[in-house]
Amino acid sequence: MRLLFLVCVAASAHDIITTPITWSREISRIIYTRCASCHRPGGMAFSLMTYKEARPWVVAIREEVLTRRMPPWGAVKGFGDFRNDQALTPEEMELIVNWSEGGVPEGEEKHLPKPPKFDKPPGLPKGGIVVKGDYQLGRKFTLDGIVPVAAAPMKLVAELPDGSIEPLLWLENYRPEFAHPFLLRKPLDLPAGTWIRGVPPGASIRLLQK
Amino acid sequence: MKRRVFLGALTANLLPAQDPNTIFICPMDPDVRQHDPGTCPRCGMKLASGLPEPTEYHLDLTTTPRAIRPGQPINLTFAVTDPWKHRPVTKFQVVHERLFHMFIVSQDLEFFLHDHPVFAPDGQFHYNNLVLPKPGMYRVLGDFYPDAATPQLISKTLLVAGPAPAPMQVSEARKSDAMTLATVPERPIAGMNTQLHFTLTPGTGLQQYLGAWAHMLVASDDLIDLIHLHPFIADGSPQIQFNATLPRPDHTYRVWVQFQRNGTVNTERFDVRATDLR
Repeated sequence: MRLLFLVCVAASAHDIITTPITWSREISRIIYTRCASCHRPGGMAFSLMTYKEARPWVVAIREEVLTRRMPPWGAVKGFGDFRNDQALTPEEMELIVNWSEGGVPEGEEKHLPKPPKFDKPPGLPKGGIVVKGDYQLGRKFTLDGIVPVAAAPMKLVAELPDGSIEPLLWLENYRPEFAHPFLLRKPLDLPAGTWIRGVPPGASIRLLQK
Repeated sequence: MKRRVFLGALTANLLPAQDPNTIFICPMDPDVRQHDPGTCPRCGMKLASGLPEPTEYHLDLTTTPRAIRPGQPINLTFAVTDPWKHRPVTKFQVVHERLFHMFIVSQDLEFFLHDHPVFAPDGQFHYNNLVLPKPGMYRVLGDFYPDAATPQLISKTLLVAGPAPAPMQVSEARKSDAMTLATVPERPIAGMNTQLHFTLTPGTGLQQYLGAWAHMLVASDDLIDLIHLHPFIADGSPQIQFNATLPRPDHTYRVWVQFQRNGTVNTERFDVRATDLR
């Protein structure tokens, strides 16, 4: 959040509109889906729920999403596949860039989606195998998720006895203050003898079992 | 321009009910989507028109054999499922003359492939006899458009056993056998629009390739950013302009440009460094 405050700029009333992308139709849907669990009244960060609230932050929003500091998902898309993935898609990033470059239009109120409802976020799952450094599974294991314990940038892979290598998790910009698990979209069966590699010295993870 | 075409397509799907591109969705089965009003073939409910969320579909990539060896052919299978009911998606819209565009880039950014897996009766896309030349990580970008949804750009990763390749060898060249590149600004700034002006030599015999005068893939040196673009300005003349926003400072981005001349597809590449404004 610190960086957001540094680069916040005042709204201009004289932006030239050059994009069909609007807050009401596209951007609000992205914000509600990806950001509003924290950025809402009563949330853990300032609200971005309305155009009036989001407009002054547009430069910061753009920079944060392009550098993938926000949302604080902390993993690279497409290296592992997660059912609780909160990272922006390339399309969503493109929409935000286009909207910010194109004059930040508000659009028509009738296109606004209903504000989302939020459940209390689940805590970190407990249990699992703690892995430090390379680790060989002594028995078959159905992997359901990964929890960073002592986080560091890492590319976590599973080397199976058949010689195949499965990408599990590529941590980049993971922030412990936004600790969360990475829950696989499909549980992964790992036979006995599989090597878990990629945890750097000083870091550790927990492998969650299905 | 890819970006505008893409955004236009996306926007068209988000237009209000009176628009001919309105999407009708089953309230009970959100994976049932079509452009015409009617009832859900699954549950019989009346389909409702609405503004669909820009939802990310699921793409599963499997290889046969599962273990990938450098220099050994493998077959790829891409399966698309909807994010609500996890049912296979079998209806797709054509994007630039194909149902599925596949880009593959190697860890050292030396290997580049843009090709088109074929949709098969099993409801999946197949690409056979792919040979990955070296050990290391390969990033795969799938570009497809499920019917009555929003366009999808989904990346996957293939890992080939063996020692990691040497890091990317950066080139500062701005001229190749087929084209020259000039950027505006000369030193691109991360997060800001960069114009990439290409001049083709010779400038004759140019033809559209897959529905565009040129195609571009941009990959960051760490393979985190993968961006697919089409020209901002192009009309068949030797001048082609792309606009790109390079996301992160202090990274080099390799751009591959593809164009067709007299029936032959040409692929050229350049490296562009993104700097920090501050």
